[in-house]
Amino acid sequence: MRSRIYTIIRGHFKSWYRSKSNIFWTIAFPLLLIVLFGAIFGSGSTKFDLYLQNQDLSGNVPTPLSQGYVNALNQTGAFNIHMVAAEQPDPLTFVKNDAQLHNRGQRLLVVPLGFNATVMSGKTATIQLFMDQSDQVSASLRGIVNSVTVSYAATIAGAPDNLVVQPVGIVTRNVRYIDFFIPGVIGMTLLTTGVFGAVNTNGRYRELKIIKKLATTPLSKIEWILGMVGYQMILATISLVVILFFGYAIFGVTVTIDIYTVGLVVAAALLFPGIGMVLANFVKEAESADAAANAITFPMMFLAGTFWPRETLPDIMKIIANFMPLTYVNDGLRDALIYAQPAQALTNTIIALGLAAFFIVLGSLLMNWKEE
Amino acid sequence: MSDTLAAPLPGQSDRVVQVESLSKKYGDNVAVNGISFNLTKGEVFAFLGPNGAGKTTTVEILECLRNPTGGRALVLGYDVSKRSDQAEIRKRIGVLPQDFNAIDRLTVRENIDYFGAMFKQQLDADKLIELVDLKDKRDAQFKTLSGGLKQRVGLAVSLVNDPAVVFLDEPTTGLDPRARRDVWGVIERLKGQGKTVFLTTHYMDEAEYLADIVSIIDHGQIIATGTPDELIDTHGGKKTLIIRDAGQEGISQLPPGLPKAELRNAGDIAIPLNNGELTSILMSLAQTPLHDKEIEVRRPTLDDVFLNLTGRRVSEEGN
Repeated sequence: MRSRIYTIIRGHFKSWYRSKSNIFWTIAFPLLLIVLFGAIFGSGSTKFDLYLQNQDLSGNVPTPLSQGYVNALNQTGAFNIHMVAAEQPDPLTFVKNDAQLHNRGQRLLVVPLGFNATVMSGKTATIQLFMDQSDQVSASLRGIVNSVTVSYAATIAGAPDNLVVQPVGIVTRNVRYIDFFIPGVIGMTLLTTGVFGAVNTNGRYRELKIIKKLATTPLSKIEWILGMVGYQMILATISLVVILFFGYAIFGVTVTIDIYTVGLVVAAALLFPGIGMVLANFVKEAESADAAANAITFPMMFLAGTFWPRETLPDIMKIIANFMPLTYVNDGLRDALIYAQPAQALTNTIIALGLAAFFIVLGSLLMNWKEE
Repeated sequence: MSDTLAAPLPGQSDRVVQVESLSKKYGDNVAVNGISFNLTKGEVFAFLGPNGAGKTTTVEILECLRNPTGGRALVLGYDVSKRSDQAEIRKRIGVLPQDFNAIDRLTVRENIDYFGAMFKQQLDADKLIELVDLKDKRDAQFKTLSGGLKQRVGLAVSLVNDPAVVFLDEPTTGLDPRARRDVWGVIERLKGQGKTVFLTTHYMDEAEYLADIVSIIDHGQIIATGTPDELIDTHGGKKTLIIRDAGQEGISQLPPGLPKAELRNAGDIAIPLNNGELTSILMSLAQTPLHDKEIEVRRPTLDDVFLNLTGRRVSEEGN
């Protein structure tokens, strides 16, 4: 039995590396995407990025003192100020996602509600500055913010000491877009090689009567499926290694490889071929199955957070993304590889493995090994 | 289920295939309707009939790819309907499915090894390559081969486990005449080696050329079985004397008292022959202006057998 499975894996693998288009889609295309997206979104700026939320509104208009303070910060020319809407309930999460997407530093200054009134009443108003102490620019940035604050306070008659900047430490990994993108590309590659690989081997091999021929030999359906999954695992591992190496070599992306990464690769090597097998059984003709595979993989790729954080999607799309298996693979890979958050990686790995078990079993049950 | 088939001990009978009252229905459609036949060790057995006659359904029942809905079939003494027997059958049979292609990007040799690895024991790939005459293409990828060569790879693959019986389903369909001849050559070599071959075909000449025994199947039923000679003698009708290029004028020049002659496609005159009449007809023709025309005696073929049995030619059904 072992030798039969090994033969199937070897047969698929040889067929894979002898096809230039296979090599392109599995290796060259993801690398091309990394270079393209890295170049488009990766450019930095010499100014300090600073997110600013002015909560002190009066009838949707910033109060005079709060607006003056924002203007003062702006006039220094030291900051790229990105305003966060006052009604944003969780500005820190928003900043984390948006900074990641635009490859900016995660720093947030919050001008609190009642700023104007507090200062006018002669009391001390506290402005919070959220930033990571390990942020390379934290000292200089804090210095500039402090001096702007002090000089702004001096301009307000009767309130020279009424403004205090309170630094709040946050832990960021200062995740750049490319760090975010690399696990997404891995997820995307596992998705496409898995779905298309299974559609090809189960659709095309059926048309070519290879499956019929195999069904007349002692080979069993389960051995055939194990062979295909084994091959997908090898392919997934190659994709992972090549993409991570490339990400490190070109963009200096460093990752943490742990048990969850392994679990997710195993899950993906079962899950996506499982989806492909289900497709191949519903859409019998190889060509139509290919079209169906495209119809499934493309929306999944875009909605499951491969290219952009899902938080930037409209609400309805976010809900749809929750039903996409790739979402959990992408999230899990990011949690494991980039954010080093084992607890979240575990959840996503368990969901991905559960989906994998469901689809591979469904695909296996649906697959006609004999005729009828 | 019939009990009249005496099941011999597996592997201890000359009866390689025994089929009795076998049926297969798909809903209301009866694909195979109570057929019976036997295949003896060392025979080349041709299952002959038009497309849709039930050939592939029958052969796929014998290959354990489909379950019969009635009757019984034993292959090498094992019952195709029993799960435990199916495993034994699969170890011992060789199969070339209709329209089979091997794996595109594997070489001829790799393909033979690939399918060989599915069995515990396999023949030496190089010997098989020699048998199907593909030594020059040993390391060529399957996708680069012509149709005829691809089919020979299929034949090699079907022999890889040294099977006790080989099922070849329409092995020459779609091939050009030369490639067909090459495939026939391989099947003849198998015959020479004493292999038992079950061949399905809709080509009458193929069955006539290769088969020891022919069963003609039509609309799911076997309508005649025998050696090609027996079938032709019994159902083929009379021999025909052909006078080439004689035209309408030739008909008027025929001596009186001959059986009714007819004019065929290219101006040939065809005269049905009764036994013992040939010499007297030739002598009377010698006295006419037709004496210098080319004359031949045409024996009926399996095509005529099929026509006489069904009223149709296989070729009339788009085959």
